[in-house]
Amino acid sequence: SFQSSDFLFKFLVIGNAGTGKSCLLHQFIEKKFKDDSNHTIGVEFGSKIVNVGGKYVKLQIWDTAGQERFRSVTRSYYRGAAGALLVYDITSRETYNALTNWLTDARMLASQNIVIILCGNKKDLDADREVTFLEASRFAQENELMFLETSALTGENVEEAFVQCARKILNKIESGELDPERMGSGIQYGDAALRQLRSPRRAQAQSAQECGC
Amino acid sequence: SLIKPGSKPPTTPVKLKKVSTFQEFESNTSDAWDLGDDDDELLAMAAENLNTEVVMETAHKVIQNHSKLQEQHKFQEEHLQDEKQAESAELTSVACGDNRLVKSVSEGHTWSSSDYASENSSMQRSQSLPQASTPPLVRGMTDYNTSVTPALTEREASRLDKFKQLLAGPNTDLEELRKLSWSGIPKRVRPIAWKLLSGYLPANVDRRESTLKRKRKEYFAFVEQYYDSRNDENHQDTYRQIHIDIPRMSPEVLRLQPKVTEIFERILFIWAIRHPASGYVQGINDLVTPFFVVFICEYIEEEEVENFDVSSLPEEVLQNIEADSYWCMSKLLDGIQDNYTFAQPGIQKKVKMLEELVSRIDEQVHRHLDQHEVKYLQFAFRWMNNLLMREVPLRCTIRLWDTYQ
Repeated sequence: SFQSSDFLFKFLVIGNAGTGKSCLLHQFIEKKFKDDSNHTIGVEFGSKIVNVGGKYVKLQIWDTAGQERFRSVTRSYYRGAAGALLVYDITSRETYNALTNWLTDARMLASQNIVIILCGNKKDLDADREVTFLEASRFAQENELMFLETSALTGENVEEAFVQCARKILNKIESGELDPERMGSGIQYGDAALRQLRSPRRAQAQSAQECGC
Repeated sequence: SLIKPGSKPPTTPVKLKKVSTFQEFESNTSDAWDLGDDDDELLAMAAENLNTEVVMETAHKVIQNHSKLQEQHKFQEEHLQDEKQAESAELTSVACGDNRLVKSVSEGHTWSSSDYASENSSMQRSQSLPQASTPPLVRGMTDYNTSVTPALTEREASRLDKFKQLLAGPNTDLEELRKLSWSGIPKRVRPIAWKLLSGYLPANVDRRESTLKRKRKEYFAFVEQYYDSRNDENHQDTYRQIHIDIPRMSPEVLRLQPKVTEIFERILFIWAIRHPASGYVQGINDLVTPFFVVFICEYIEEEEVENFDVSSLPEEVLQNIEADSYWCMSKLLDGIQDNYTFAQPGIQKKVKMLEELVSRIDEQVHRHLDQHEVKYLQFAFRWMNNLLMREVPLRCTIRLWDTYQ
């Protein structure tokens, strides 16, 4: 159950109300669809450790409220995010039309280097589709976003969305494009990486202190 | 104050600013836990519970048990050294379970805040209006008895009498009623007490019936006038949001009944378009529930509202409940409208107040949060936005509103 990690990334889940942000998070963490989920007020948190190309990355996910009136408060949660899932609902053009605003906010408030994956959620409701795959993928290309259509109901592409985003951040760290040590990068070294920095004796003393319960 | 900042100087925590120490504040508000001035017996019990000797003895026992278990654990571990690791891990968890058991039993003697916290957290996500286990906040209220139609204790009966005398008029002294309500309102008189305290009903007894009639008529005139516009272009976003939010409300009580959904949608839509400065904001939907549940109790005998089939009530009764809920919610929101206007300044201010309060009464917690870069807005926003409706069981919200109406 306890898994140490090499890195910790701060992730955001943003997008209009009712697009399925909390359900995506729940599906990712619990591998289940939550059909009685409350609407989110402010922010809720989730975390999960994923294995990305042999590295363990802990994702600390900030699931934000989507309603317009909460925008000024939720914007204060963006600072220092390394990655984001930008979510719209493929059966609602209105949620797609709002993407530009969300994008501007994310790039301005989180960081210029934030890695964003666009998620067209509710893929299972293809009969009610209002936004085509092609149109959204063009939008993604123009705005340098990764793109997937997802279904929080069936689980399709949900894990992929989080992992692909994490992989791109890792690649950027390895290529030197991102510096984890920079303030506000949204990246921290995980406990596995930190343990190597500690002297063995100190690590031992620490574990002896831990209660047997 | 959570409910009406600034509007009720005698009871709102807004006066906090003038109070120099937390101790002063605490002593000003500690009577919220009292059940009235005739509760000597209960107070004596409470005093006994807090007797230092008893507390120390209990604490000593816990420590003794803990060290005994640890020794046992060590002993067993030495003998099991050669055994498989998996087994010893199992043993650890067994010893752990014992420890916890001992702890909770010893704590059971007193009403500690941790009792409340654990009881609370276990109930928070449950589907029901908890009846069986009563947290201390509401202990001693009318629904303390386990029978379906509870017989009142002498104390409860005398409290009820006091309320009835006040409510009888000819003019109800609202300040007196507010003072009496601070330590909880008996269930039977809660609907009328809430209507008076919120300013919905006049203090004068003779004017109450006509006011109710007029206000109920006025509400349904609004419905007539506005409700059809819910599908118009300029209102459809509001209606759509309300419509998708009601099934996702908290708590789960009643919300899935079609009749209830219908009523909540109307109340929220009418309020939203009559208050364009804020409009409908998520969280406001939660604020209908306490009124609705309390006002339903005016018409039913059942103790448990959660399983009650609302559609079994006559249409006229439902309309009364709907209109009363609308007006009382409106009164509540009048006092906190800046919670829901642009940038939500009311909430920002209250979260700041909370931060200031914690920094004064529990500096250690405050420093800890600060060190880990946890901002109060990250966890307390919802507390303020939904007036704790998502944090405590509905029953406790209702009890809190007795105090803060």
